[in-house]
Amino acid sequence: MKQLRLLIGFWALSLFIASCDSGTNEVPLGELEQGVLIINEGNFSDRDGDISHYNPTTGIVKNNVFEIKNGRPYAGLVQDLVETDGRIYVVANTGKVEVVETKDFNSIGAVSQGLDITQSLVTANDKLYISDWGPYDASYNSPDSYIAVVNNLNGGEISKKILVSSRPSGMFVLGNNILVACAADKKMQVISLASDSMTESKDVEGTPVRFFEQDGKLYLFAKDPGNIYLHEINRNNRNLTLTVKIALERPTSNFARGENGELFVITSTGWPEYNDAVAKVSMTMGQVLDPAFYTGFGFYGIGYHPSTKNIYIGDNNGFQGNGTVIVVNASGQEVSALEVGRAPSGFLFK
Amino acid sequence: MLFLSLLAFNLLTFVEEISIGKQDTLDLHQIEVFSMPLDKYTFGQTVKTISEKDIKNFQGQSLADLLQQRTGLFLRQYGPGMLASLTMRGTSAGHNAVFWNGLPINSPSLGQSDFSILPVGGFDQATLHYGSGGALYGTDAIGGAVHLSNKLQFDKGHQVKINTVFGSFGRWNQSAAYAFSDHKFSSRSRIYRNHAKNNFKYTNLAKIGTPIENQNHARVEQWGVMQDLAWKISDKNLISSSIWWNLTERQIQPVMGSNDRDKQEDDNLRVVLDYFHFGSGKVWNLKTGMVRDHLEFNQSTNRTAQYFLSGDLDWDLGSKWNSKSGVRFTYIEGNLSTYAATDTRLELYQSTNFFPTESISLSLNLRQLVYEGNFAPFTPSLGGEWTVLKNENHQLQLNTTISRSFKVPTLNDRFWVPGGNLDLNPEKSLSGELGLKHDFKKGDFTGSNQVTYYHMSVDNWIIWLPNGSFWSPSNIRKVKNSGLEYFLEANQKLGLWTVGVQGNYAWNQAINQTNINDNDRAKGKQLPYTPEHKIQFKASVEKGRVETYVNHHWVGERFIGTDNTTKLSPFGIWDSGVNYDFELFGKLKGGFGVQINNVLNTDYQVLRLRAMPGRNYQININITL
Repeated sequence: MKQLRLLIGFWALSLFIASCDSGTNEVPLGELEQGVLIINEGNFSDRDGDISHYNPTTGIVKNNVFEIKNGRPYAGLVQDLVETDGRIYVVANTGKVEVVETKDFNSIGAVSQGLDITQSLVTANDKLYISDWGPYDASYNSPDSYIAVVNNLNGGEISKKILVSSRPSGMFVLGNNILVACAADKKMQVISLASDSMTESKDVEGTPVRFFEQDGKLYLFAKDPGNIYLHEINRNNRNLTLTVKIALERPTSNFARGENGELFVITSTGWPEYNDAVAKVSMTMGQVLDPAFYTGFGFYGIGYHPSTKNIYIGDNNGFQGNGTVIVVNASGQEVSALEVGRAPSGFLFK
Repeated sequence: MLFLSLLAFNLLTFVEEISIGKQDTLDLHQIEVFSMPLDKYTFGQTVKTISEKDIKNFQGQSLADLLQQRTGLFLRQYGPGMLASLTMRGTSAGHNAVFWNGLPINSPSLGQSDFSILPVGGFDQATLHYGSGGALYGTDAIGGAVHLSNKLQFDKGHQVKINTVFGSFGRWNQSAAYAFSDHKFSSRSRIYRNHAKNNFKYTNLAKIGTPIENQNHARVEQWGVMQDLAWKISDKNLISSSIWWNLTERQIQPVMGSNDRDKQEDDNLRVVLDYFHFGSGKVWNLKTGMVRDHLEFNQSTNRTAQYFLSGDLDWDLGSKWNSKSGVRFTYIEGNLSTYAATDTRLELYQSTNFFPTESISLSLNLRQLVYEGNFAPFTPSLGGEWTVLKNENHQLQLNTTISRSFKVPTLNDRFWVPGGNLDLNPEKSLSGELGLKHDFKKGDFTGSNQVTYYHMSVDNWIIWLPNGSFWSPSNIRKVKNSGLEYFLEANQKLGLWTVGVQGNYAWNQAINQTNINDNDRAKGKQLPYTPEHKIQFKASVEKGRVETYVNHHWVGERFIGTDNTTKLSPFGIWDSGVNYDFELFGKLKGGFGVQINNVLNTDYQVLRLRAMPGRNYQININITL
């Protein structure tokens, strides 16, 4: 009996130790692994793009997280921020990609040679696929656009450039292919991961911008001066199967996906009034719910925070100084204004 | 009305003077070819001339380098040999007027000059007018003016000058000049080539590991031809003319982290012709000229041409009054990459000096410019100097000026497609300054101190803002500038030795008074890339033919954006050099100099991520026959 009590005691102690041990294995999330990462594109002549971090709980904004962590400026115009495979890729349209650790933005690699006007990035088969407009020609067109392939997720040398139609921007990995939205030529092109070559090219109505998923379906967002287009893509044969065309005056390329099939699209009247607005659009109803959900000037980026259901709007303040992120609620009321870096243009919600 | 009355009074009085046919009083037998003195109507204002020694030591280098290293002025330099724009008293790059032999040479499309493509050697004298000068010079002179002049001489016979500069990073500057003059005719021809590879080492902050790399794609190649002529037709009449062709081809140094491979070619032709008629206490000047600029950026071509015709009468009325009345007509043609436009300008100006007592001198300047039927702001200035104390050792002088200035919107501001705004108003300013100058001389010591406090308000400041997919200018900004300038010069002779000190300090506050929208945080903040403080000083020791010097310039922090949240660190650069003048065989004179720039190999940026060279060396050789 005594031995049995001893055995039970030992067993209980083991359970306690085991439970304590499993607790110590839980690594708390780093500060930058929660909250909102804000892309600050930067000013063209100063190349002062960087990333801000916003903690919605404390309301604290930390600017220049790349420079602070790595002791050097990012030194580029940030075009995209891609989190995948435990890394964050900071893509500059000034011809480089910096690879940083997700937890603290510690620099672990880069692609800094051979790129021109870089737009976005996806990973597949342990490789980087980087969309790039290529160098401008004499008329500032982009006839030599490409997808650069790098055989290392931490960056390094470019192993191959796959030529595509003019001005590739958004990409999407679909099975053994990559879909590429080529804005200037209004095409969606397909790159085979098996051969790292362009295998298909499909015409797109409107200027294609980027891909997104909604209710398990894959869409390509496109626009022209009077409409937005939501092209549904057949995941099997990659054909554009169904198009929702919604009349919307002067949409920009900036949109965010909300809930229940809602999209928030930045519009701009341009010269001479130059009034910007956020239009609320229903994909399912195929109509604009509110063309002036929120109005103002200098809208440069937009995002939708899925847990707070707030809309984040980047205001570039005319590129004269740092920008502002205006946070508005589902009713279009301003909740707060955040002082962020130069030209806030995009968001990564974590 | 007062302006027109004064103009009419002067012209009527001139007719009367001509009719009575007084004898000439102006001495035309001087060696130097006559040119209108730049500082005659500037009582109460600060006008400084760059020393001949500095002009000599900077031969072949840019005026930007000279001003950055030897004055309290700040130049926004995008790299060595790259675009360099001047800021005076905290104003913008387009708020200073630049003249070459009296012709305004700011680009009419950009509204400013690139000081990196004005080589020292393309002029004989550089004079700086600090502060508002719109009434004297016309458009652009809100923060000040820079005058580049040629100084031709008579009675010098034949003269050949050869100047060679070798230096680090592939620098090789070569110039040759031939001059001939007798007592009636003077001619000088000059040709130069300036070359720099600019392949200096720098720390690439944009790359992982911040490697030290060689700068590439920053080569500068410059050629120029100049011709000066002067003909003394008679004791009463003189014709002088200058032609300057300058071609600069540059690989544009990319900002760190960029793979840009831009190229720029600037082709500038400037021609001026002056006719002077000397009457009794008067000088008539008829001036005509042309400034043609051809800028090719990559494959984008921008051409402008300015044609000038002006006439004025400068007149001494007894011992208490001087007067100058004039008119200038300007025709501008622009064929830019996105538009073609013309602009016609007419301006009337009147300058008057009055000397009520021996110790008080006053200048009143008035100007009205009309462009394309639009009246620019009427610009008066009133300045005075009062010699408070004058004795054998000391002279103490009080200076003050109040003035208005303006800037006509540039062709790009008005006509650029897309975005040009035809409804823009001219930028305008109102400024006042108060200064004290002390000259001291005792035995072998001479010294001069000058301090000036200024305050200026600039309104209708034009800035370009994004308008959807393009940018457009608006009269949106108001700025209050205030600050202080201090100048020091002192020389002490110690037997065969001369010890000299020269220094400048500039304190410029340029405070934005406006926000462009509710979220803007620019109001109350210092303008970007406008250092509040700049210090420069030079100490030299001279004995006989040998001179050695050490020079330092320190630039305070510069904010990158209008909200002042990010900034560049201050930097200080030390330069040193030694010069030796020699004479061989009685006729051959020359100079040999060695300069070490950035002696301490300081790593610095004038503008963000624009690499600048570390320690570098230069050898100057000049020979005169």
